[in-house]
Amino acid sequence: MFKKLIDNAAAKSPWLFHINAGSCNGCDIELVAVLTPRYDAERLGFKLAGTPRHADIVVVSGPVTVQSKDRVLRTIEQVPDPKVIVTLGSCPRSCNVFKGSYSVAGPLDKYVPIDVSIAGCAPKPEAIIDGLALAAKILKEKREAMK
Amino acid sequence: MLPFIKEAVEQLFSKPSTEAYPAVDVPAAPGYRGRIVFHADKCISCGMCERVCAGGAISTTSEETEEGTLITRRFFLGSCTFCASCADFCVKNAIELTTDYHMVARDESELVVTGTYLKKKPVKKAAPAVEESACTVKARDDGLPVNDPNRCVYCTLCAKKCPAGAITVDRKEKIWKLDEDKCIGCGTCHEVCPKKCIIM
Repeated sequence: MFKKLIDNAAAKSPWLFHINAGSCNGCDIELVAVLTPRYDAERLGFKLAGTPRHADIVVVSGPVTVQSKDRVLRTIEQVPDPKVIVTLGSCPRSCNVFKGSYSVAGPLDKYVPIDVSIAGCAPKPEAIIDGLALAAKILKEKREAMK
Repeated sequence: MLPFIKEAVEQLFSKPSTEAYPAVDVPAAPGYRGRIVFHADKCISCGMCERVCAGGAISTTSEETEEGTLITRRFFLGSCTFCASCADFCVKNAIELTTDYHMVARDESELVVTGTYLKKKPVKKAAPAVEESACTVKARDDGLPVNDPNRCVYCTLCAKKCPAGAITVDRKEKIWKLDEDKCIGCGTCHEVCPKKCIIM
């Protein structure tokens, strides 16, 4: 009985972990704006987790630079299954304007499958809320599939 | 103490400052650069958008059919910086950046905007005989440059690039003159000439 209660509660409160993989900080600021009182993602249950081991949703911003690649992958591996990987902005999806640079090892889908991509440069906070809502839906589907 | 109580009571009855976003739709500010809309019927396939695109988001594929060439332009929003350079450079205003910001996708194909149009084959005309004007001057023995007036367009590029300032070009009178004393025979004029009419 308790397990069901915990499952229900967990489904309504997906925790985020944010990784900056060499982002210009534009997307990061927008993600922080989503957590501020004006957009307040916490009313939808999203909460920024301090460690990847507590997280359900991983939000990656930035084109995955050579320096950050190993650390990003190590951090994503630490997130327990089921996890949802969300790309924030154009960079992790396709490297954007950094395409072909010697110091960029991305895009992210070379290494891990991307579940949700939020387009925009940087995306509007409302678009991020849309993306997180979709991520929560996918997380629920993944949980069902794991049972 | 009193002002704080006043503020507290005021805030208790005022509207929340949080936007009720998923329930109430928030329109983007006018001029917001969001999802690209491509009007394929206006495109004249100059390719300028593809050239100015910073993120390399625009690609073109063409397919030959009986009626002409079927050209498909593809905009990948996952690689777009939304700088609107493509829309600015488009002479026919065929590209438009709308205020639609709902660009969330599970799959890459949802972030692709495409447009296809037919470029009709031109009616075939007899090709005019192209006369390749033959070189009329011979290279000099002393290694100094010589200009072929038949091919020269008098662009003055050679005069501008000459490190010794030995060449003077008059565009109006169509005169190309070399100061033999100043010329050092470096060959810069020969290198820069767009028509390759300076012979050394």
